[in-house]
Amino acid sequence: MSFLLPKLASKREVDLAIKSVAEKVLVLRFGRDSDAVCLQLDDILAKTAHDLSKMAVIYLVDVNKVPVYTQYFDISYIPSTVFFFNGQHMKVDYGSPDHTKFVGSFKTKQDFIDLIEVIYRGAMRGKLIVRSPIDPKNIPKYDLLYQGI
Amino acid sequence: APVPARRAEHRRAVARFWRQHRVEPELREQCVVPAEEYERFVTALEQALAEHQQREQERIQQIAADIREAERRQRETVREALQVEIVLFFLNCTQLQTEAELCVGPSVCSALAGPGRDTPQDAEQPGPSGMQAGPDLAWMESGQTLTFIGHQESEGKGNVHTGAKPPWLIEEEEEEGTKKEIGPSYEEFLRQKEKQKLKKLPAERVGANFDHTSQTSDSWLPSFGRVWNHGRRWQSRHQFRNESGEKKKK
Repeated sequence: MSFLLPKLASKREVDLAIKSVAEKVLVLRFGRDSDAVCLQLDDILAKTAHDLSKMAVIYLVDVNKVPVYTQYFDISYIPSTVFFFNGQHMKVDYGSPDHTKFVGSFKTKQDFIDLIEVIYRGAMRGKLIVRSPIDPKNIPKYDLLYQGI
Repeated sequence: APVPARRAEHRRAVARFWRQHRVEPELREQCVVPAEEYERFVTALEQALAEHQQREQERIQQIAADIREAERRQRETVREALQVEIVLFFLNCTQLQTEAELCVGPSVCSALAGPGRDTPQDAEQPGPSGMQAGPDLAWMESGQTLTFIGHQESEGKGNVHTGAKPPWLIEEEEEEGTKKEIGPSYEEFLRQKEKQKLKKLPAERVGANFDHTSQTSDSWLPSFGRVWNHGRRWQSRHQFRNESGEKKKK
């Protein structure tokens, strides 16, 4: 691990992160540190954090510690990654059913870097939703179920 | 002698003119001004000129007289004003030298000056300074009433006229233990640089007007477009709060 990612352990800390990060993409990884896919994702996040430091700020959030946000963001699968810019939620069309978050891990570091770049550029142009540059083959598949149905 | 010669030459030139243009004799007579009329014109002209010069002369002398009269009036007024100041000077010298009484000075002065006098005696330094200023004093203060704040007695400390040390060079006493720097500090300078960088960002970017320093409550939720939502983002928040409200009731 080249970069130790900072963690947020309460709603208050998450609020502070959303409000205070300015002019950069805020990346909130919701998951559990011990989960296998989370470990994969965290590895990619850690390795790219330094190169993306001018465009993005990355935090890890334990879903058990922030139940309010776990419900508010409709997090049913982990890891789920939510993006913000200047306090505004950024949606991304990955070709998957849910545009509000990225579910699962990325195949390569470059995929994540490209995604961050696209989100950053879109935000600079005033767009609240952007299209993902990642090949749909590399997007994890999941079923979006309405309240467990 | 020169006059008749010119006249002869003129007659010759006129004759030449008649010949050149083949003017009929009848026409010639009509064109020539008779000699008597010409003489009459000359005398009239001389007379008019003399009269004009006379009038101009008179006008200039009248102007000169007016100026002399104005000067005389000015000198009169100044003389009278100086006499009043002399009286006041003696008055002040006999009084005690307290500020309150000095402030009475100008009011006494204006009381004297007020009725029946159009001299502007509003200069608030009756006494020695008035004497030294001379006749120029009253004219400069016309129309303005200045507030008198009292004679500045320095009691041996000296002032700008005596060449004493100026207050900003006196460093013996320090007020307020800590010395405060003048101008922006280093942190403020850095903040200013950040602000300038912000200005360079596009104005239409997402959340450009977002207040990063706002204090929010515990129940604050960010603007988030939820998954099972139709409609605007703020509705997600409402819906979420309703849902949590229902759960709590259960």
